Amino acid sequence: MNFIDLLKRIPEICKTPETLPLEGKKLILDFVTWLGSLVGIAVPPWVLTLVNILVVIVAIIAVFLIMFALMSVWERKILARAQNRYGPNRVGPWGLFQPVADGIKMLTKEDIVPRNADKVVHFIAPIVMLVPALILPVLLPYGRGMVAIDLSVGILFFFAVGAGSEVAIFLAGWSSRNKYSILGAMRAIAQMISYELPLVMSAVIVALVAGTLSPTGIVEAQGGYQFGFFPNWFVFTPWGFVACVLFYFSALAESNRSPFDLPEGESELVAGHLTEYSGFKYALFFMAEYVGMFAINGLLVTLFLGGYQAPLPFLTFIPSWCWFFIKLAFLAFSLVWVRATMPRFRIDQMMQFAWKFMLPMSFAALFSAAAWHYAGRGLLGWGISAVLVAIPYFALGYFCFTRHHSADNRRYLFSE
Amino acid sequence: MHELFQKIIALPWDQAPQWLFLIPAFVMLMGAAAAVMLRNLIHCALCLTLSFIALGVLFMALGAEFVGFVQLLVYVGAVAMLILFAILLTPAGEVAASNNPLRNFKFSRAFAAAGGATVALLVLVSLLGAIFFSPHARAVVPPAQAAIAPVKAIGENLLNHTLLPLQATAILLTAALIGAALLAKEEKKS
Repeated sequence: MNFIDLLKRIPEICKTPETLPLEGKKLILDFVTWLGSLVGIAVPPWVLTLVNILVVIVAIIAVFLIMFALMSVWERKILARAQNRYGPNRVGPWGLFQPVADGIKMLTKEDIVPRNADKVVHFIAPIVMLVPALILPVLLPYGRGMVAIDLSVGILFFFAVGAGSEVAIFLAGWSSRNKYSILGAMRAIAQMISYELPLVMSAVIVALVAGTLSPTGIVEAQGGYQFGFFPNWFVFTPWGFVACVLFYFSALAESNRSPFDLPEGESELVAGHLTEYSGFKYALFFMAEYVGMFAINGLLVTLFLGGYQAPLPFLTFIPSWCWFFIKLAFLAFSLVWVRATMPRFRIDQMMQFAWKFMLPMSFAALFSAAAWHYAGRGLLGWGISAVLVAIPYFALGYFCFTRHHSADNRRYLFSE
Repeated sequence: MHELFQKIIALPWDQAPQWLFLIPAFVMLMGAAAAVMLRNLIHCALCLTLSFIALGVLFMALGAEFVGFVQLLVYVGAVAMLILFAILLTPAGEVAASNNPLRNFKFSRAFAAAGGATVALLVLVSLLGAIFFSPHARAVVPPAQAAIAPVKAIGENLLNHTLLPLQATAILLTAALIGAALLAKEEKKS
């Protein structure tokens, strides 16, 4: 093998975009073997395993950090459009290099640690926040055969590792020795624990129907088309639609995004657990929040939107990994859209929504999915499961969220 | 230089994963020791959390992925947060040093140490007994089969053989939840 052969393979690889990432990885491994032969060593297999792991890790981290950088400018652009202004347009073409400017600004800012703060914990908190967020994307199947670790309990892995961010928020809030920090951290943890229940429940529903906890298996269960054009995605079933919406809102709340951004509510809590953070540590929190948001939306794509499957049969010429990122980009856009549209919840509204609506609805969706599964997945199953989610929906809406006004049972809200 | 490099390459590196478990084991022991010794209660809780995480990693290193992830989910996600909240919500200094009745007792420290040591010893003896005298410890299972219990098998076992204990636990937890909600709802009248 020589270097020219390796170079010649590049155009060949580019001819089939479907397998481009996998072939690219193989090329890098062959390149390492060639490097070894250059020095006169037969490269042992463990080195190749190590290089394989490193290539995957570097690729995932690079892709997600680039997405974070692009998202930070894209979000401001969309928000600006929603508010009828231009948004960042000074740095580079269309303001595309804004993240670079932001990064330099963050790096050169003074890093202030409060005098009374617990300095070690204050330092550790951003790291504890970022590490789980960067671990999460490894289990998502990005394309056919493209998954970093094909875990049989991948969904469980996601929630287990995701639990780390709650600890990190507590660390940040407690170590700052600031009442706004600790209040914000308490709110954030209360919110995350409350919304974790519907989040996990809706994932459980999908695991129940797909019969597996492995993300790849779940995506494969959604392959194929009904009547030749209608994709078998779980979002297009009654229970799946409900579970998908519940998952979407829970994901919003878990990643502390508007309208669930109360932990950082500027008007009440300065910036919540981020109050005493500045410079690069603040940037790390910001980064962790965005990477976590991408990861949880990637899980939504995997669970409900068919993962890397194309929406229509004739669109399969676009490679599968492109479809994953197209869907992810669509979800990211919708998140910004929601942020531009919705005002922030009040804390009691948020809690009521979680416990009185989301949780009962997720149980209803679970029953509905079981009915769909046992009624044979045909039209009958459709009808039964649709009724089973519709009844709780309207009942909950009528009994819990409609105020029945009359002269004497009018309850005055705190804000009145 | 070249020979040294080749010698390093030739070391049995593919055996290394077998010894990697030493890292989480060390972290776990250090975390547990720090949780006992540190003065600041929050620091203790955090070290305990570190110990929980390392234990989960140990499970995963043994191939028991499901148990490892459940360990992380339950202990780091729930138990650690519970401990931290319990420490935060307990009013500090309620038992003031002067009011502590044991303070006036002469050998209180010695007695406390002796009691702690007794409990620790009893736990150690019972654990060792469980390890060495239980029939499961003697059973020779090929490691590959022993480690990877599929989630399906666990679920079927849980809902067939141990259904009654599972339901009993569920009722107990629900009762505890309702009780906690009742306690929390009671407001002090000022």
